[in-house]
Amino acid sequence: MIQVIDVTKRYGQHVAVDHVNFTVEQGEILGFLGPNGAGKTTTMNIITGYISATEGSVKVDGYDILEEPEEVKKRIGYMPEFPPLYMDMTVQEYLDFVSDIKKLDRATKKRSMEKIMDLVKIGHVRKRLIKNLSKGYKQRVGLAQALIGAPPVLILDEPTVGLDPKQIIEIRSLIKELGKEHTIILSSHILPEVSAVCGRVIIINKGKIVASDTPENLSKRLSGTGRLSLRVAGPEKQVLKLVRELEGVKNAEVQGVKEPGTVDILVEAEKDIDIRRPLFYALSRAEYPILYLRSVDLTLEEIFLQVTTEEREVS
Amino acid sequence: MLAVFKRELKAYFASPTGYIFMGFFLLICGIFFAFSNLLTASPEYISVLSSITFVFLIVVPVLTMRLMSEESRQKTDQLLLTSPLSVTSIVLGKYFAAVAVFLITVLITCLYPVILSFFGTIAVWEIVGGYIGFFLLGAAFISIGLFISSLTDNQVIAAVVTFGALLFIWVLDWIIQGIPTDKISGIVFACALAVGAAALVYFTTRNIFVSATIAIIGLGIIAGIYFTNQYFFDGFIVRTLEWFSLLKRYENFMMGILSLSPIVYYITFSAVFLFLTVRVIEKRRWS
Repeated sequence: MIQVIDVTKRYGQHVAVDHVNFTVEQGEILGFLGPNGAGKTTTMNIITGYISATEGSVKVDGYDILEEPEEVKKRIGYMPEFPPLYMDMTVQEYLDFVSDIKKLDRATKKRSMEKIMDLVKIGHVRKRLIKNLSKGYKQRVGLAQALIGAPPVLILDEPTVGLDPKQIIEIRSLIKELGKEHTIILSSHILPEVSAVCGRVIIINKGKIVASDTPENLSKRLSGTGRLSLRVAGPEKQVLKLVRELEGVKNAEVQGVKEPGTVDILVEAEKDIDIRRPLFYALSRAEYPILYLRSVDLTLEEIFLQVTTEEREVS
Repeated sequence: MLAVFKRELKAYFASPTGYIFMGFFLLICGIFFAFSNLLTASPEYISVLSSITFVFLIVVPVLTMRLMSEESRQKTDQLLLTSPLSVTSIVLGKYFAAVAVFLITVLITCLYPVILSFFGTIAVWEIVGGYIGFFLLGAAFISIGLFISSLTDNQVIAAVVTFGALLFIWVLDWIIQGIPTDKISGIVFACALAVGAAALVYFTTRNIFVSATIAIIGLGIIAGIYFTNQYFFDGFIVRTLEWFSLLKRYENFMMGILSLSPIVYYITFSAVFLFLTVRVIEKRRWS
């Protein structure tokens, strides 16, 4: 459906996107993961034809973005990071305008408008000026705008940024729903978000693709670190000593005391060793009960560090 | 194009811009009408049209400053440029919206000659011709404003630069009078133009070979003209600057002469600036 072939974008000396290659199959939800400034938005802007690549080409449904831009643009619904809204229009006026520039005929427009408003739940604010809407509603209007004309491809740039947790869950389930009928590329800098929604994840850093896999495989590769955070009722020194002496523990350090009489410890295990059971038995034998034990998710920075070093080892 | 046109037209009257433009324009027009026709009981209406042209300097920037700059500031250009619309139709839609607001205002001022016709005889065709010139002049100014608005994402800068550009055109005829008309200055000016064009090409393409070729060809043409017809360079600067003299052509209309050439001139002038606007927007997407 979407082919990105050797795309490079340079701004003077700065290389924003560096020889990026990937394809997206029909009906796939692809997650684009990367820190700020990694080139996610630039790549998306190139696919949608907002800016052009310095080198390389993009094909959507077989049409080249440079040769037949209109055909490509007809097939893409784009929701940029900042929804492109006209503050002086009402929601209804704005969506009418978008249907007009997407060249929908009157009948299709009427039919799809109600459906889209129901889908993103903005029907009750249709008469309000966009500038008076909250951030969450603006985001939804931005999404509605992308859905107009039922484009087969949806490109969503950080669709959940600035939303409250409830809205984030709503938008995520909406995207999953949309994935049944559309091919979707969505970008994010939050790993759990991408793994919750996407069938495949591409990690991009400094303009280069550093990993491309399913979220399951990716988290398998990343779970190797096995870091645990636990709270133990007992004296600090003895507990720490006990934990450190345990087989398979690479490192353990005290994080502080949050509850009197207990201690919070961060434990790092050797690669591929599950230390949870030995840890439990060792502490219970010494009668230092574990109050909680949970594995620590990797931060995005650590993921990149790990993925990039891993790639180097492989190559 | 129609969708963009409709949106822009609505936007003018959803914000104070449209009202400020119309109000100020009609106020100045009314004052001049009152002083030169009503109070003096004169049916000479065309003089009003020729004396209120200065109002363009102030109101055209108000009308055009928002057009492109606000789109890039609010990032709504992403919507337009990723939609199946061509850049040309976006630019044309915006231009025609501004021209439409201007046209509506001009049509309101048509009431004044109608009022005059109740009390005396007016030169109907002279006034119609005058209005055509007035409208075309305004439309040409609007195209300059639109072009400048596409260069920046700051409305205030767009307004100030537009004002400066229009002011330059305003004093152009006066500048032309003081410019040397001898052969040497003409040749120097022509060479400067050729080198300037080459420099412009160099800064946009960074290709030394192409720009050097352009400079050499330009200088070659100048030398060729010099050896075949050296009188060509007499008054060359003046003739070049006169191409940009929008007001000189306007005088014809005010004298009651309606000929094709100034009409074609004004339309071409607007078309060139609209073309440049399209190029600027396309260029920004490439760099």
